[in-house]
Amino acid sequence: MASTVKQEVSPFLDPGSLTKANSLAVIQLSRDNFVPVYLKQIDGEHDGYAEGAVLNTRFGSFPHSTLIGVPWGSQIRASKVDTGSRGRKRKRQGGDDATEGASSEANESKNQKSDQANADSANGTKPPLATDTSGFVHVLPPTPEIWTTSLPHRTQVVYTPDYSYVLYRLRAKPGSTIIEAGAGSGSFTHASVRAVYNGYPSEGKRAGKVVSFEYNEERYHKMQEELQEHGLKDIVHLTHRNVYKDGFLLNGKSPEADAVFLDLPAPWEALHHLSRRDPKKDDGNQTEWISPLHPKKSAHLCTFSPCIEQVTKTVSVMRRLGWIDIEMVEIANRRLHTLRDRVGLNLQVDRGVNNSPRDVEEALTRLTEIEDRFREQARPPKAAGEDTEMGEDGSVKQEDPAEDPALNGKPKSEAPKPGPKFPWQDGRLITRGEPEIKTHTSYLVFATLPIEWTEEDEAAAAAKYPVGEQKQVVGALDRKSRKEERREQLQNKAAGSRKTRKKERDEKIAEIVTPS
Amino acid sequence: MHSVVRPNSWVVIKLPSGVTKVLSIAPNTTISLGKYGSFPANLILGRPYHVTYEIQDKRPDENFSRLRIVPASELYEEVFAEEEAAGCSTLNPETVAPAADAAEITLVDDESGEVVTRSTQELIETARQTLTQDEIEELKREGNNAGKDVIAKLLESHTALGQKTSFSLAKYKLLKQKKYIRRFQILPMDAATLAHWQLEERESSKIMEMRAEMLALVGCWGNVHYGGEDVFLEDPKARSEQGAAALAEIQPDLLKGRWLVVDDTGGLLVAAMAEQMGILNSEDEEGGELKIGDAPEGPDITESAPAEEKQDADTEMADAAEGVAALPEKPKAPKPRPSDFEIPFSQTNTITVVHGASQPNLSFLSYWDFDAVSPNHPPHPLLNHLLTLSWLQLLKPELDTSYSTPPLTATLEVLSSWKPSRRGNFHRKRRRFARTRHIVDSTRAGGFNGLVCSSTMDPTSILKHTLPLLAGGAPVAMYSPSLEPLAVLADLFSVSRRTAWSSGTLPELAGKTTEELENWQGSENFPLNPMLLLGTSIQTSRTRRWQVLPGRTHPLMTERGGTDGYIFTAWKARPAEGKVAARGRFKRKADGATTETEDAKRAKAEESPAVESADTATPAR
Repeated sequence: MASTVKQEVSPFLDPGSLTKANSLAVIQLSRDNFVPVYLKQIDGEHDGYAEGAVLNTRFGSFPHSTLIGVPWGSQIRASKVDTGSRGRKRKRQGGDDATEGASSEANESKNQKSDQANADSANGTKPPLATDTSGFVHVLPPTPEIWTTSLPHRTQVVYTPDYSYVLYRLRAKPGSTIIEAGAGSGSFTHASVRAVYNGYPSEGKRAGKVVSFEYNEERYHKMQEELQEHGLKDIVHLTHRNVYKDGFLLNGKSPEADAVFLDLPAPWEALHHLSRRDPKKDDGNQTEWISPLHPKKSAHLCTFSPCIEQVTKTVSVMRRLGWIDIEMVEIANRRLHTLRDRVGLNLQVDRGVNNSPRDVEEALTRLTEIEDRFREQARPPKAAGEDTEMGEDGSVKQEDPAEDPALNGKPKSEAPKPGPKFPWQDGRLITRGEPEIKTHTSYLVFATLPIEWTEEDEAAAAAKYPVGEQKQVVGALDRKSRKEERREQLQNKAAGSRKTRKKERDEKIAEIVTPS
Repeated sequence: MHSVVRPNSWVVIKLPSGVTKVLSIAPNTTISLGKYGSFPANLILGRPYHVTYEIQDKRPDENFSRLRIVPASELYEEVFAEEEAAGCSTLNPETVAPAADAAEITLVDDESGEVVTRSTQELIETARQTLTQDEIEELKREGNNAGKDVIAKLLESHTALGQKTSFSLAKYKLLKQKKYIRRFQILPMDAATLAHWQLEERESSKIMEMRAEMLALVGCWGNVHYGGEDVFLEDPKARSEQGAAALAEIQPDLLKGRWLVVDDTGGLLVAAMAEQMGILNSEDEEGGELKIGDAPEGPDITESAPAEEKQDADTEMADAAEGVAALPEKPKAPKPRPSDFEIPFSQTNTITVVHGASQPNLSFLSYWDFDAVSPNHPPHPLLNHLLTLSWLQLLKPELDTSYSTPPLTATLEVLSSWKPSRRGNFHRKRRRFARTRHIVDSTRAGGFNGLVCSSTMDPTSILKHTLPLLAGGAPVAMYSPSLEPLAVLADLFSVSRRTAWSSGTLPELAGKTTEELENWQGSENFPLNPMLLLGTSIQTSRTRRWQVLPGRTHPLMTERGGTDGYIFTAWKARPAEGKVAARGRFKRKADGATTETEDAKRAKAEESPAVESADTATPAR
């Protein structure tokens, strides 16, 4: 599988118009429920399914063949898949396990075995897939945003509100080189690949790349696997390394980065590797010191730390190392839900409906009705007839049918406001926040390191742009020179055509007239 | 963005007071920063960005000020002294160098090396500054070591300095520094800097109060990125007597990496997107590897060239260009001139802007030397990657004159008999026709990879016409400074609407084809087809800035108010044909009328026959 992916452009960067086999797709089950799936075209039985690879969800079963070769964004109906008999024959496995099994490499050997066992039954013609009566999903192309919400968590994830702002501030553009330390779960890696991508590296072209470092070996291998599967291996250079100790060079060469993102527990211990020249020159180190930064571009740096103590330490070291424009921010992101706030006495009893008066008028009508009815019941039964002393019950019963239509306020009060015909138009449109919000992700510290400017550079620039022939003043002017400039302008204009002179005159007149 | 300041490029100058100025740096001029002084522009040309410069005192034999690059260690002198005094420094605590030899007055007491701190909170009722304004002015006029002497004098002449707490002393000093220190910083012009400048110092309403965090979010949720290598359509080599039939056909397979944009921020959004797609700055600038010696343009050339081009009128230039090709006595043009119907636009990695007025308002692009309406433009990547069309051209092209008027035709003989100016006009009109046709037809062909909006128009109406143009799975990101329009929009995709729509019981949908549903023109109950977008969501982001100083770390006390800004995000869906029933373990609702309320029971009941049928199918094979 891996070899076929390598040749093609990553689905993250150019998914094409149709879903492809052996490529990543994201299945949207419900609003915020995404499942990343590597689509597999398997003819014949696979993992106990006659349909080949199957995605089982609580919204139905989806053989991969129904997900391949369709336009992105398509709504896919569930298929009738025999999940029952498979469960009986083999050890019982939940639907979720099967999903994972279909996407992970670990099950490969198991799959092969079952493939062999069922090889005979597979060479017959493929039975047409029957569409189920209910259940559907949507298939979406992978983007860093969807990936961030659906990726397997290995560490704290850098979410979209944070990474979008970080990349914006790091000035990450197509062609940039970003150093990322602490690849973690890979959410920032994917986002930064998209930002720097300007084609796959080829000769004679400086392609944007991400130089990523991960200390944890297990995470490094997982990440490596992921990059391979996502077709990003040529753009992301992942290294297993302790950057505090060993720095950021690649095989002793500078990656020439212009942006750095440090998601490390102690960024200050890595910072000295990110200088323009050796900060510990006096150590008697003989070997030549190489900076991992681009020599001709200002470097932008961001560190991502959850604690304020980390920030103060980092900032203090940044200052010592010559970083400027140091700024610390935190980002608060809120998602808002829109819903219909349905309050009223006459609304259908439904979930989310508040059956209390909608406004004072409705409350008043209701209270009047109750009061009227109460009064009616308490009223001496004289209206029923002359024989008042007879049983009260009888008289009331006689009266009720006669008075009901007039008294019973319900139909009356409903009549003037014919509620909307459709439930989705009921009630007032409101927005409210999520039930749980992320109040703190991390503190972001930004800083910039300008390029080294030597005396030779200065001499060369001075020779190229000699001073002493300044003709004109631009920018803020003092009153005297502003006046002079204006006078000059006027003189030049006056020499122009008759039309401009007339315009000039009109303007002057207008100026004289308006203040008075 | 390149590493050094180049002649005639726009830069941002940041002053000590925090004010930023945007200037185009022309060679051989003097740049005046008001009270902070002035200096020759040539002293910053070819010099690096981001460093802090100090305007030095004029030398006795020179009539201008020279600049000095201030090292970072000097910028942070004070903080270092404080850190060392407090003993909280992480580096070299032994080398405490109290401020005795420093040029600036610090908060540190000279003898003890301790921070001057007053624990008692004495009130300082009156100003204790003994220097009068005249004296300060006098000091400023004299050589004053870039304002540092003034500040030192001010501090010296303050009678109650000792009564200040360290906090108020630091504040006082900062205040005076902002006012008198003659330093500035040069930042390169990019979308982020422009946005910040517009928001903080110009009219924020012009960019719809779009904050950095929102601009960043819109770019990410719109999945804006480099859209692939440039692909150009082949020149149809149309002869001058050939009409519209000779136009190059749109090839939908080639169209890739295209974003549809509605931008009412004067071009800021387009600039930010172009930056993310790598088409805002020209190639050599991107590399940033230019050595100081070999810049392609010398100061003298660049000084005059753009100005000349701008002065030339449209027809004159077209005429002149035509003249070169037509007159044989000028031995030039080794490359054959492209025909009038050659399409200059790339088929990939493009931004298509739909605008409400007859001309797009993309005025901010001028800070990157791009003029959307200039007919004869010096080379710029946006020329081949930015397509603009009006809503009229998009929706009713037959009513648009430049689209529907057939192109002029003339045989070569007739053409050569004309005056050069008339000939120039002829070609110009034909070129415009071919361009307009291409833009409109390719846009109407759809298949866009994303929709990004920041518009004052009603988002519902925008989506009504743009949704059919999006490819399946394409993201939609719409910015609005206020929440309400987006809330109304999100409500059009509510669960109950979707359920009702897909239940197949609505009379208004009966007999509609998929295409008609895709191009849904809106009804009273359904202004938009609720099935066309997935995962609709509204969010807002806000940054909070902090001051980080030893012992004085806290969020800033005040920040810009106004709107936070909101964005609406979703993905374009391709709904399945016919009735689609949902499945899920929802609780039964009282009415139970909609399919959404199907409960687990029913779902199970449906599953069991499914199992049976599958069972019977397996043995058959």
